[in-house]
Order: sequence, then C-alpha cells, then structure tokens
Amino acid sequence: MKRQVPLVLCFVFGIAMIFTQFSPHSFSQGIYEEVISWALIIGPFALVLATVTLIQTHTARIRRRTEHWQYSFVVFAGLIVMVLIGMFFKPQNPMFVWLYNNVQLPMDATMFSLLAFFIASAAYRAFRARTFEASLLLITALIVMMGNVPIGNLLSNDTASEARQWILDNPNLSARRGIILGVSLGVISQSIRIILGIERSYLGGGD
Amino acid sequence: MDWNLIGIWVAAFLTLSIYSVLYRDNPFYRFAEHLFVGVSVGYGIVLSIYQGLVPFALKPLWETVTTGAPEGFIKLIPICIGLLFFARLSPRHTWLIRYPIAILIGFGSGIAIPNVLRANIFEQTRGTIAPFAEIAAGTLSGWGIFEAILMVVGVICTLTYFFFSVEHRGPVKWLSKVGIAFLMIGFGSAFGNTVMGRVALLIQRVDFLLGDWLNIIS
Repeated sequence: MKRQVPLVLCFVFGIAMIFTQFSPHSFSQGIYEEVISWALIIGPFALVLATVTLIQTHTARIRRRTEHWQYSFVVFAGLIVMVLIGMFFKPQNPMFVWLYNNVQLPMDATMFSLLAFFIASAAYRAFRARTFEASLLLITALIVMMGNVPIGNLLSNDTASEARQWILDNPNLSARRGIILGVSLGVISQSIRIILGIERSYLGGGD
Repeated sequence: MDWNLIGIWVAAFLTLSIYSVLYRDNPFYRFAEHLFVGVSVGYGIVLSIYQGLVPFALKPLWETVTTGAPEGFIKLIPICIGLLFFARLSPRHTWLIRYPIAILIGFGSGIAIPNVLRANIFEQTRGTIAPFAEIAAGTLSGWGIFEAILMVVGVICTLTYFFFSVEHRGPVKWLSKVGIAFLMIGFGSAFGNTVMGRVALLIQRVDFLLGDWLNIIS
C-alpha cells in the first residue's frame, strides 16, 4: 500500500499519457483531456500545502523569537490580504488588481533589476580574459551587448547589431541545440526510468 | 481618494526600499522582502485556485449538483487525491502524500516523453540538417553552406563535450575542445542578453521613479 500503489499509479498515469498522445481516437483524446484537468485540479493543493509549510515556518520564527522575527508578521499580512481579497472578490476585482499593479509588480521588477548591479561584479570576474575560452565569452558578450544598444550601432554603423544577430543565429544556436539534445535525451531516459519504477527517489525514505 | 496616486507612492516606496539593500541590509529592505514573499504566495494561491480548481473541479461539481447530471462527480476523485497532500501534516499518515506525488510525476513523465521527442529531438535535428537539402538542390550561397556546416560542427562538438562514455583523448579531445569554444560563445550570448535584460528593468524602474513619481522627466 505504501510503496507499491504509488508505483502502480505512476506507471498507469505515465503509460496512459504516452498512449493517448499517439492515438487520435475520440475516447483516447477524452481520457487525455480528463487527465490534464485532473493535474490542474491536484496542482493547487500542492501550492496550498506549500503555503501551510510557509505559515508553519514563520509561526515557529515568531514563537522562538529568532532574529528579525517581527518581519514574519509582514509575510502574514501580505498573504492574508491577497488571499482574502482574491478569494472573496475574485482576481478581477479592482482592489486585487491594484495590489498586483502597485505592490507585487514593482517589487518583482525591482528585485530582478537588482541583478543589474550584482551582475556588474560578476562580469568583472568573468571578463578577466585569462584563457582562450574566457576571451571567447568576453568578446561574445561584448558584441551581444553592443548590438543591443543604440550607441553600439551608432559607433559601428550597424555592424554590432548584424554581428550580434549572426552570433545568435549560428554559433550560439548550435551550442544551444547541442545542450537541448543532451538534456532532452536525459529527460526521456529519466522519464522512462520513473514510469517503469526503476527511479523511486520521489517516494522518499521510510517504509 | 485618488487610488492611482496612492499606488504610485506605494510602488515608489517599495522600489526605494528594495534598492536600499545596495547600501546595506536594513529594516526597509527586510520589510519589502517579506511583503514580497507574502504577496507573491497569496497571488499564486488565488490564481491557481481560480484557474485550476474552480473551472475544472468546482464548476462541474456545482453543475452536477444543480442539474443532476452525474458526469461531474468524477471530479471528486482528483479532489480527494489532492486532499491527500495534507497527509503531510500528520506524521502517522505522511506516506499518503506519495499518491498525489506519484500521479503528478507519472503524468509529467508520460507527457514529457512524446513532447520532448517531437519538439526537442526531431525538430532540433531537422533544423540542424535541413539546410543540407538546400545545398543538394543548389539553392544555398557559399556563405549559407559555411553556416550550415558550422551549425552541424557546433552541434556535434557540443554533444561530444557532454559525452562521457569514452575518455576524452585524441580526436575526441579536440572535438570536445571545439565544443567548449561553441559553449563559451553560447554562454557569452546568454550572459550579454541577461545583462541587457536586467539593465532594461533597471531603466524601467528609474523611469518610473523619475517620471511617474517625481515628474522630473516626461
């Protein structure tokens, strides 16, 4: 019950999804659409469980008075306000949209833009052209960056932009294709191992 | 009350609070950071429930209850499976969480095999060798032929670098070295694009602060 049933469920759902994608019959397509809707139904429960875990973590922080425990109340405030407004008034509600546009979106963009500062120090370390490979990385990155900004094209008479496009379409694409092919073969072999029950690490430890 | 104006001030305060970490860790940054976590999680929950649970489970169930058609009752199965996630909260029944995880993993693996095969293996291989049909037809220029050969060489050498079943000695070593060169060009392009993407976000935030908030620039 504890290990065999999950393995059987994994096998049945895996095989069903493979076969239904190769069969155009209406019965097969019906099963395919039904199982997809099942995954969309089960998914939110995992998110709610993750939120419960987040709440437990912050409750423990408050109880133990660990460093900066006061900020856990801010997490709860943000979470409760968003969930209450979203659940009771639906996501289309102007108040929910206002919170998204003026609280979440600016913070999201700002958090990601912070990387522009940190990447500068990373660039300093990466761009010290000590080897041939590091020089290649440096030159490519410089061409791509110069081809992206108007001043690069102004200084080079549009050559930077053309060189950038050629790099993206040729050597960059071939490297990406090599990586994609390798990763995809790995994904397929790992998926087969999971469906056949050879790979069982997702079941965790214990009996 | 002008909610638009309040929104601009709130967004400006939060933006500056996050940028304040560039000086050092401080209470404003910690406040914004924790608020971001709470708001993002809350937003994710609301959206996943309204885009997954409501249209695919609760709506069909409600229709079944109101019209008496039995089809919607099948949605009780995934709801019960989903509820098993909460067995994680009881140490004695925590093993039950394996059921929904096994279903989702089996579902994901089953859906991945044909899609990855089609989109990533067949299409990428076809994209790599397709120009050779044009070479055979004599419709490709000299530069085009060079690009087609470069593409195949790049793909083979990159794959060779990741091929660990044979020792990288002799010709394999040289193919692998060429593969590293292609990889470095790929990483350089990715790095350049990432830098420009982040700088674009920074410009957008500065534009918001100077334009929408302070009205210094139009």
